[in-house]
Amino acid sequence: MELKVNGGWRETPELPTVGALLTHLGVTHQAVGVLQNGQVVAREAFDREPLHDRDELEIVRFVGGG
Amino acid sequence: MKGVGGDPGFPVVRDVDRVRRLVALPDVRPAMLDKLAGATVAMVGMGGLGCGSAPYLAAAGVGRLVLIDPGRVAATDLGRQVLYGPADIGGLKVDVAADRLARQRPALSIVRYPVALTADNAAALLQGADVVVDGLDDGSTRDVLNAWAVGGAAPVVFGGALGYEGQVTVVPAGGRPCLACLFGSVADAPAECSVEGVLGPLVGVVGSLQAAEALKWILGAGHVLTGRLWLVDLFTGAMRVVAVPARRGCPVCGATEAV
Repeated sequence: MELKVNGGWRETPELPTVGALLTHLGVTHQAVGVLQNGQVVAREAFDREPLHDRDELEIVRFVGGG
Repeated sequence: MKGVGGDPGFPVVRDVDRVRRLVALPDVRPAMLDKLAGATVAMVGMGGLGCGSAPYLAAAGVGRLVLIDPGRVAATDLGRQVLYGPADIGGLKVDVAADRLARQRPALSIVRYPVALTADNAAALLQGADVVVDGLDDGSTRDVLNAWAVGGAAPVVFGGALGYEGQVTVVPAGGRPCLACLFGSVADAPAECSVEGVLGPLVGVVGSLQAAEALKWILGAGHVLTGRLWLVDLFTGAMRVVAVPARRGCPVCGATEAV
């Protein structure tokens, strides 16, 4: 499937959910925010929110240092 | 004219001169400067981000800074916390920072709290602050600040810096959106620069932007970063701004409100 991730289009295997995409990308679910087509996906919904071809996603790690 | 306050012998800088370049901005009117002089900004944490933001807030003419940090200056701070030098090691950060900021602007009013902010003392420490600037180095206390903003008392200018990555967003008083809309609780977020390292100038980049957002909020000038997250990666030099809408059912700011 084709997905736009953080501004860049990429080909991925068929991935069922937002959580599967994070796992595919090697991104931990901890303190990560995801926007799917401009809407926030709650962390507890990562593993049930379906992905669709040509979805646009922003994956943001919370940066805690200071 | 010779000085009063901390530095006899130095010329007194009139506030009208100090802010001349500020009021030269097309959307800043002289009357707006009264807002700055009357404003109180609470600095929660005087590490890298606090050192990056406080001097610009002082320089711009903010009336009062409340410095909150229980820490003492350590040798490992000196590579990025630029208000401190070797002679300050072992001293309370709020004391050393207050001395530096008072030299920078003798008319600045400074309140020092050498304690850690907690859910229990937040109201006592932050009461009266018009804006809160997050200079923390942990996630769980940021949850406390987020709740403070959502409670409606004052906006919080959040900042974070770790490795080469930084981010800034402003949670308005009342939230919608708030930090938890995107991230949920950030109590478990990676925050330890002793583990992940940090490029010194990163905290200056992020802290300076926090100061800019705080000043814009006080002045009512420009477009404040509410509902948007500013991201920088100094490794590649890339910057992005991501729009973050309020989340329906956000457990902190949206439990009873539809978007």
